[in-house]
Amino acid sequence: MSPMKLCVPGESLCSEGDCNPGAGVYLRHGYIYSSLAGFVLKTTEGEKLPVISVVRETEAQLLPDVGAIVTCKVTSTNPRFAKVHILYVGSTPLKDRFRGTIRKEDVRATEKDKVEIYKSFRTGDIVLAKVISLGDIQSNYLLTTAENELGVVVAHSEAGAQMIPISWCEMQCPLTHAKEFRKVARVQPEYLEA
Amino acid sequence: MAGIELLSDQGYRLDGRKATELRKVQARLGVFAQADGSAYLEQGNTKVLAVVYGPHEMRGSRSRTLHDRAVINCQYSMATFSTAERKRRPHGDRKSTEMSLHLKQTFEAAVMTQLFPRSQIDIYVKILQSDGGNYSVCVNAATLAVIDAGIPMRDYVCACTVGFVDETPLADLCYAEESGGVSSLALALLPRGGQIALVQMDARLHQDHLEALIEAATTACKGVSKVLDEVVRQHLQEASVLTGED
Repeated sequence: MSPMKLCVPGESLCSEGDCNPGAGVYLRHGYIYSSLAGFVLKTTEGEKLPVISVVRETEAQLLPDVGAIVTCKVTSTNPRFAKVHILYVGSTPLKDRFRGTIRKEDVRATEKDKVEIYKSFRTGDIVLAKVISLGDIQSNYLLTTAENELGVVVAHSEAGAQMIPISWCEMQCPLTHAKEFRKVARVQPEYLEA
Repeated sequence: MAGIELLSDQGYRLDGRKATELRKVQARLGVFAQADGSAYLEQGNTKVLAVVYGPHEMRGSRSRTLHDRAVINCQYSMATFSTAERKRRPHGDRKSTEMSLHLKQTFEAAVMTQLFPRSQIDIYVKILQSDGGNYSVCVNAATLAVIDAGIPMRDYVCACTVGFVDETPLADLCYAEESGGVSSLALALLPRGGQIALVQMDARLHQDHLEALIEAATTACKGVSKVLDEVVRQHLQEASVLTGED
């Protein structure tokens, strides 16, 4: 494999007609310039123009974007919403926690007004959610779990053991066999480890 | 003028440099593992440490969040042992606040903040030894730190302080020259496009000399950018050797 070319911010890589801009580059006056210090990567996908991007060994910080699936941990609950810390965006861990909110209306897709937060999430649960809005100046990221694949993935019972999901709205503790209410995520079989 | 001769008849300055010569620049990237990006830069006897954190969620007053861009938060501070006499107030005084604001304006021009809405990027610079050209050396060190953090930038930002003595522009002033009554101008430049990010001057200069001075500053900044470019490329080479890439 030929050695990848080094580039620095501001270096002109190619003209707009030759490649499509990817990550780590910007377009100016019909030329593509690098915006990071790293290695130039050119990927071709069939008939279309190659995509040119700049990669670094250490990934720069990723921000949660609208529509992204995030993994978060519930920090506090309230009859109207649950506050969470966003830990992972997709499968990339974040170096710093971002704060998010799951409103009562966004927990389920059906019977939104009859939702009780206490029966859907508890503090310390790990939840899979989707970002619906970056929020405005006053609020945090707004998240939703109103899909079958979204909701609680890991929860601990009042006895302290990790609970096993029984249905979409209940989990059971293996020690005390007590059932607790949660909005459970239906994780796709291919993501579960044996 | 001052008793000390800032430019001799043969064209030599106090430290033996010629009028357009820069001081020796030595720099290193990635000096701290905990911060997202860091750099240490020495320009002659001026030594600066720059550290970058971010982009991360807005801390402190949430009302300063911008919905479409990142906020750049700069703090300039001098170590108490950095000057000839022990400095009483390392940060919080008028000079430091003004410098912090200038640094913020400079980096808002170069960093692509629209990629990180509603977040904050922190740039902290600390002067460990001050021997003139504080603002310029800080900008150069902070550029390296931002590159080390992997935050996208349009181009390098290189800065230089120039002065005017005996009809000759002097590039990269040291402390003795700055305090010797020279009209000094600090210029921060994006070298490839030749765009000026910040010009700062608080002395008196005749209008006719301004053009020549800015010319000299631009040339000096381009010289600095070559050195910084070398440093960044070398750092990338070393990093790739360690990770075993081609």
